[in-house]
Amino acid sequence: MTAPEPPARPVLVCGEVRTGLLPSLHALDVRAATQLLRLRSDDHVLVSERPVPRVLSPEILTGVDCPLPAAGGARNRAVGTVAARAALTSGRVLQTTAYVSLPATGPDARRPWGQYLVRPGLAEPFGRLPVRAVAEGVLRGARRGELDLGIIAENLSARLVRHPLLDHRTPFKSRRTRMRWVARRVPEGDKAALERFTLAEDGLRTVELRLPDGVAAAAAAGMCEDLALHDWLLTTLAHMLDDSRLAAADGPAAVLALRPAVDHLLHLWMPRAHVDRSLTAVWDALEEAPGFTRQWQTQVQRIRDQLALQAIPLLHRALSPS
Amino acid sequence: MSEAVYRETGAQPRIHALPLAHLSLELGHLYMEDFEAGPERLRAHFAEVRIWAEAARAAAARRIGERRPRISTCFLIDDYFTRFSTPAEIVPLVLAEADRAGLVIDYLARESGCASADRLELAESVSHRLVESPPPGSHGARPPVSRTGWLANGQRTPTAARSAMAELAEWQPPQETAARNHSVFVDVELWSDRDGGRLWSCPFLAAVWQLARLGLLRHLGEPVLTPAPWTGRDFPHDWDRLPPLLRLRDSAAPFSAYRTCTLLPNSFLAVEDAVRVVLDQVDVDAGALAQVADRSAREGVPVPEQIAQRATYVFYEDPADPPQGN
Repeated sequence: MTAPEPPARPVLVCGEVRTGLLPSLHALDVRAATQLLRLRSDDHVLVSERPVPRVLSPEILTGVDCPLPAAGGARNRAVGTVAARAALTSGRVLQTTAYVSLPATGPDARRPWGQYLVRPGLAEPFGRLPVRAVAEGVLRGARRGELDLGIIAENLSARLVRHPLLDHRTPFKSRRTRMRWVARRVPEGDKAALERFTLAEDGLRTVELRLPDGVAAAAAAGMCEDLALHDWLLTTLAHMLDDSRLAAADGPAAVLALRPAVDHLLHLWMPRAHVDRSLTAVWDALEEAPGFTRQWQTQVQRIRDQLALQAIPLLHRALSPS
Repeated sequence: MSEAVYRETGAQPRIHALPLAHLSLELGHLYMEDFEAGPERLRAHFAEVRIWAEAARAAAARRIGERRPRISTCFLIDDYFTRFSTPAEIVPLVLAEADRAGLVIDYLARESGCASADRLELAESVSHRLVESPPPGSHGARPPVSRTGWLANGQRTPTAARSAMAELAEWQPPQETAARNHSVFVDVELWSDRDGGRLWSCPFLAAVWQLARLGLLRHLGEPVLTPAPWTGRDFPHDWDRLPPLLRLRDSAAPFSAYRTCTLLPNSFLAVEDAVRVVLDQVDVDAGALAQVADRSAREGVPVPEQIAQRATYVFYEDPADPPQGN
């Protein structure tokens, strides 16, 4: 028996991140977060304390053998494993990601399963991968029976949310977001870059990246988790401001609407903090336009102004003789 | 690019290396019925095993060429499914019978050590690492193996979810995923849950045992089931006081190895086939896997990629039952 042909170089990495508030009234401390994210009892849960506590689960695998989503109806079966992981930021924001690397070509028959398992997070196409069609297909979303990264991320999230540590109460209302991303591999030494970031409806965002060979797919996943986290913060804050404007006629209600932002969110803005150093420059494109941090600072300033305005009558009342 | 100035150790995974032999050779596996059959059973066993052990050594030597192969031998005693006798009684008997056949046992293990050792639940940890081979059509939404406790090498016969009134569904055969023309479908029970807790099945514990012998088990990056040295004192009268893995000779080659060879009677064939079904669906610690691959390649004896391929077996005729007394 001859040794099996090793897989070709990956040309595409695809993933989906789900971001939302952890259903728990109180933020989890690092110890509880570690317990929640111990998806495998013998594997490391990684903890970064600074600048914002972030706990990252070990990766788990899901075996897949199905057509890849592809624009234009190109059918392409792939076999392998999808990696999934969860991250909890500041004990508050839960993210689950599923991602997979796809090589340019693959064998015409399925290998023994054990050979796929020694290459976690890789799915091989049968024959040649229609790179562009698959990239478009992944961003559009899986059709029935096609590889569904969203469902893998969602299943992991559902599994975590069932954990007895969680009381299923939240300190404020928020919406979950989905971010689909594709990273096209470029030669080592080329620059990593963000090519497109699109805000779609229903909390869907799509991201296209260029990822140099030699930078781990997990680093791209981490980069997209960071993008998704900050996008979620911006979105959530914008909703709070909208809600408070509706309540503006009634002073205390406006304060109540904005207070969770101060309590839970304002200190979480730390772009690039947990991003692999080879990819931190990717953020620069978003800082130029639309200026993520500029938007955030404007919103934070508006919240502070609102709260200050609401405080004036209170102060006035407190100072005036009764 | 310069190194990062700020680092947090909790954010960096660590993995410890293990010493590794070329071959881990298992000389036998003792169950209560073997013990009850008397010392003659052990004697006949070792006399048979000796022949195949020499063949296994010769095969290992051929693989590595000029150098002296590092081979360690081990012997497993079941104290998990049935507790019988005591280490003080059995271990000297096993060692004496091996010695009589000209065999040396380097490491002695207790089967319950594959379930838990040094307060670590090894079998449970391995169960978290099962990644089922997906039948065609799996697109990400399958129930995990943890819900069923069974692991197959293909697709089961679909269960008919129709009411009695409805037309009876036509039976459909199960299908082995890697079938060549026809299926050999295997479905392995990994555990059963009962009042006293979870009872791991023999094939599942044997798969954990293979992973330990292949140097692929870790707990948070640290080696597990590490051999305890034997001080030469008497063996205890209680199984729980015997370390799960004991090194009987200081000069023995390392317990874990690039490859394993297991010598067993024919009646274990189905169990070991099940072990391969399990091994083929375990996502082992990536760090441990890389260490074994790097070191074996540097020594010029690269291991097969597939973990199940690193384990070989010799099956021989089951010993005859002892003549009925009277």
